[in-house]
Amino acid sequence: MSKTSDLSRRKFLGTSAAASGLILAAPHIAHAAGYPERNISVIIPTREGGGADRNFRAFSSIWKTKLGTDFEPGFFPGASGRVGYEVYMGKNEPDAYSLIFGNMGPEVLNWAMQPPTFDVDDYFYFGRVDTDPGCLFVGSESKLQTLDDIIAEGKKRKLNVGTSRMAHPASIGLLSLGEVTGADFNLIPLSGGKNTVAGAVTGEVDFSVLTSGSVIAAGDAVKTLLIFGENRVGERLHNAPSMNDVYGTDLPEMLSSRAFGIHKKAADDHPDRMDKLMTTFKATFDDPALLEAYVASKGTPEYLNYGGVDECAAFKAAMLELGEKYKPLLTGA
Amino acid sequence: MGETGAILIEVFFETIGFWWVIIPTIFLGLIVGGIPGFSAANTIIILMPLTLAMNLQTGLVFMVTLYCAARMGAGIPAILVNIPGTAGAAATPLDGYPMAKAGKGQQALAISFVASSIGGLLTTLIALATMPILARVGFYMHSVEMIVVMLFGISLIASIASQDMLKGLIAGFLGLMIGSIGTDVVYATPRGTFGFLEFYDGVPLIPALVGLFAVSEAFIIIEKKVIVTHEGDVRHSNWHDTFEGVRMALARWWHIVWTSLIGLVIGVIPGAGASIASFVAYQQSRTVSKTPELYGTGHPEGLIAPESANNGVTSGTLVPLLVLGIPGGATAAIMLVVMQFHGVSFGPSLFENQPKIGYGMFMAMAVAYLLMFLTILPLSRYMSHVTTIPTIYLAPMIISFTLVGGFVPREYMFDMYLALGFGVLGYVARRTGYHVAAILIGIILGPLLERYFLLALKKSDGDIMTLFSSNLGNVLWVALVVSLITPVVLNRRRNKAKVVRQ
Repeated sequence: MSKTSDLSRRKFLGTSAAASGLILAAPHIAHAAGYPERNISVIIPTREGGGADRNFRAFSSIWKTKLGTDFEPGFFPGASGRVGYEVYMGKNEPDAYSLIFGNMGPEVLNWAMQPPTFDVDDYFYFGRVDTDPGCLFVGSESKLQTLDDIIAEGKKRKLNVGTSRMAHPASIGLLSLGEVTGADFNLIPLSGGKNTVAGAVTGEVDFSVLTSGSVIAAGDAVKTLLIFGENRVGERLHNAPSMNDVYGTDLPEMLSSRAFGIHKKAADDHPDRMDKLMTTFKATFDDPALLEAYVASKGTPEYLNYGGVDECAAFKAAMLELGEKYKPLLTGA
Repeated sequence: MGETGAILIEVFFETIGFWWVIIPTIFLGLIVGGIPGFSAANTIIILMPLTLAMNLQTGLVFMVTLYCAARMGAGIPAILVNIPGTAGAAATPLDGYPMAKAGKGQQALAISFVASSIGGLLTTLIALATMPILARVGFYMHSVEMIVVMLFGISLIASIASQDMLKGLIAGFLGLMIGSIGTDVVYATPRGTFGFLEFYDGVPLIPALVGLFAVSEAFIIIEKKVIVTHEGDVRHSNWHDTFEGVRMALARWWHIVWTSLIGLVIGVIPGAGASIASFVAYQQSRTVSKTPELYGTGHPEGLIAPESANNGVTSGTLVPLLVLGIPGGATAAIMLVVMQFHGVSFGPSLFENQPKIGYGMFMAMAVAYLLMFLTILPLSRYMSHVTTIPTIYLAPMIISFTLVGGFVPREYMFDMYLALGFGVLGYVARRTGYHVAAILIGIILGPLLERYFLLALKKSDGDIMTLFSSNLGNVLWVALVVSLITPVVLNRRRNKAKVVRQ
């Protein structure tokens, strides 16, 4: 009966250490298994009420049903999107409970103009929501009603052209148009899509260039004349032709592309959470309800275009390269 | 009249039927408007799930009422405790608070409610009748013209500083320098941010507003027992004081009319807003007044001007939204998102395709102002008691509320420290005879002036003569010079007349 234990001191300490480790790790493991246990905050680096807001609400209304939690948007506009990214990278924990919903076009171009305080490789985009080509448009009452009018006038005098911000794919599209046609354009940053539409409509500028989704949302107050990419919506952009078709150029599509991004550290530390985010993101695209949500929110479902980590990385690299090329023209340097 | 008239009558009665939405929303709007940091825009965002769940017309009535009531609500703490709830009410305490301190808080509130309601109602009706013409204002007011409009507002610094010009100008320049912090509008280059990310988007308005006005005021009033100079006056508040306030406002009906029209016109310009309108209206009111020396001492006209103007802006903001599809301000932009979720397309075709929506928004505004007048006015008697709360309780409450208010818009702890910093600056300025309103005008209008100035220069390739390149701009320049010279000439004449009489 007197069975003696063969538990040595060393064994006891070793077992205790392992048990303690398990106990300490348990909440973490349980946490990962139950992800997400709370709402996910999303930093949006533009003002509420704009295209990103509309796009985010439509997409997240379906994604939340797949992920099983809600999204809480926080709007941090300013300095051409820089504020939102700096807040995300500097003030949000890399725990996969905070994401950024940015525009890979203008916001990545921005890094080529002025590097941020963080390393641009410390975050990455993992889910592309849409690709939206830039376009050239005039106010419905503008004297310049055709592309020929614009080119002819641009050869006589320097035309003021509204743009959301200097570092924008649509701005690069316009500079390319100037190079091809010899017309003289002066980019005027009007701080945001709404002001850019207003500038063209009210005659503050001769015409504007902008992401076409925002131009479609402006309705019949504007008339689109040229697309810096493919016209996927036909009549809704007034059947405007592609710049490559009109001028025989081989300009890559000047796209705005909204995508969800995340801290690289969050993905490295929590691969299981990352996996859940990516699989549910993909499942959202497979759900027909997404299309309905976009149509209901007056979005442009034709621009919905799923992209994963690789597609986003390629887009980001292309934007940084394009930014370096046009930096002198966009920074006034 | 015809078809449109029939639609208007139908929409009016339908809107009246929404009294059960309008009245609770009025009180909600007064609360969110009165708390610094909250506003109609962020309340609509917070309540967006609720708004989206409502049917189209209910959601529309709710948003419009909240917008109007929040604008009116911002004036209440501005008058009673020197805390403007929003930048649009920043000119309200200039004369509202001195009235409250003199034991006339109840009259001041009544004046504010009457000016706001009548100004809002009148401009709504005018906007409804002249929408196609008003929508054209934005076609003529470009960056050059807006530079002059900004200068109208900024010239108020000189008026405020009239008693001590050097100190006034120093305060104004300090405000302009603070206002220039942030990234530039053309190339987004950070300037004067001292390495703080929180300054990239400029100095945040609400922390500056609550710091300069409210926190510094709390430091000052703690040295007294109560806010009012004559304690007994308010303790026996009665209906008579409310009616006296109403009479004071109605006797100046013409003042309400023209200052609210300033608000309407500025409101229809995309990007311009209530803060510009209230300062410009105050400056114009003082310029044409026969008693400019009374401004800043609790003069009813100095209270009527900003309150009528900032409520005139609310109806003006709807015009570019409905007619052109361009939101005139932040709240209108949120409305655009919500209405688009309901499938409404704004723009020129709105009044052809969905006339009841277009007219309905104005009608909701008109009914909201009507009901606001009837429901809020009687409350001024009770609200005015705030000024009799002992300062040992009131001052900590002001500081707590305003620091939270400073935090809310961006949710940065930094903004709370900033509000305290501005509080200390405001306290030192007051104790040394510098006018905090002059600093604030620089902070609010400086960045707008700079934006329009840089855009005008960029458009003209740096040619400074572009400032005189438009006919309307030149007319405005002349008006600006006249409005600056007129008070000086009138003052000299009055002084001469005094000497002759003596």
